[in-house]
Amino acid sequence: MWEKVNLMRNPWLLAGLALACAAPAAHAHHSFAVYFDASKEVTIKGKVTAFRFTNPHGTIVLDVTDGQGRVREWRAETNAPVVLQRRGWTRSSVKPGEEIAITGWPSRDGKPYMRLSRAVHADGRLIGNAPFGRQDQS
Amino acid sequence: MRSALAAAAALVLCASPAAAEPDLSGFWAPSFGDIEPDPAMMAKLPPNTVVIEDTFAPEYPRMVFGGLRLTPEALAHAEAWQPEDEMTLQKVCSPPSIVYSVQGPFPFEIDQTAGLIAFRYEYYDQIRLIFMDGRGHPPADAPHTKMGHSIGRWEGDELVVDTTHIASSTITNNGLDHSDAIHMVERYKLSPDGTKLLATQWFEDPAVIETTGARFIEWVRRPGEYILPYDCDPTFALEYQERDTAD
Repeated sequence: MWEKVNLMRNPWLLAGLALACAAPAAHAHHSFAVYFDASKEVTIKGKVTAFRFTNPHGTIVLDVTDGQGRVREWRAETNAPVVLQRRGWTRSSVKPGEEIAITGWPSRDGKPYMRLSRAVHADGRLIGNAPFGRQDQS
Repeated sequence: MRSALAAAAALVLCASPAAAEPDLSGFWAPSFGDIEPDPAMMAKLPPNTVVIEDTFAPEYPRMVFGGLRLTPEALAHAEAWQPEDEMTLQKVCSPPSIVYSVQGPFPFEIDQTAGLIAFRYEYYDQIRLIFMDGRGHPPADAPHTKMGHSIGRWEGDELVVDTTHIASSTITNNGLDHSDAIHMVERYKLSPDGTKLLATQWFEDPAVIETTGARFIEWVRRPGEYILPYDCDPTFALEYQERDTAD
């Protein structure tokens, strides 16, 4: 803290900060409204191939098989894991190889990508202790 | 001399809040759902302020700015903005400035002393210091940061925070970016029963918006809880790259 208070007396640090601040505006927590269509709902069922549990968002990757036997890879983005943890999720809530179903909002660009509102195991048990609504997306 | 300075600093940092001032300390979580702005706080906003309603989860889609009137340059920037440009390894863990993150849908903790108040945000692990010792802002050409430079004062039961030196970033997370000349004034106060923290966030940035803007924000107290490490992992951006190669 003392260093921060005295930044003005350190020209080298000041110069470095000035250079850093000269970079163009950049920010990256992406907007739900820009990426996802809240007026639509999508549900997918498939086999988990990966589960990322890191901020800013978790990701569940699923192999989804359609009626003709074709497999398509889908990604379901979750709320930030700091939020998931408060809803009872852990790193082992979803395991590669298991079958799950995910409901949520589709990507606006039509790609096999969605935002998760709820996920259930093959036996119908909810993953976590409560689903996520549009009003509590993070 | 050095030990005397250290003792003085410790006194400032460890002192309890003055009895006459509200104690805002604690864990505050976003108040999701319908929020009714506090009329007395809204009445203190400068005339002709545009109050935008994108607090917490209800963000605006592209080219919607809640009534803020953009300058021609800012409008052109927003039109050219491509959201996927943000989803790169270089940018995905770059935090937004306090202008946007103050209302991000994450909790924060307040640690309050008479001379210094710390806001510790879960969102991107950001920490903000509000100097309550009567100092002013540094010179205009001093370094700018995402949290900016904040000085505070008490007006009755309200904490008034004036912030400058904010590095350029986003206002609404959809292509409307502010300059590093943005100026922000927030007012915080407790609800009568002390269970809620109410705030107005007012801002002006003539290079970007021809109007001034504001938000009303409300958090709920959750005793016993604490913020978690955000510890952003930039490889999340790779998920988007994988997505873009899908059929």
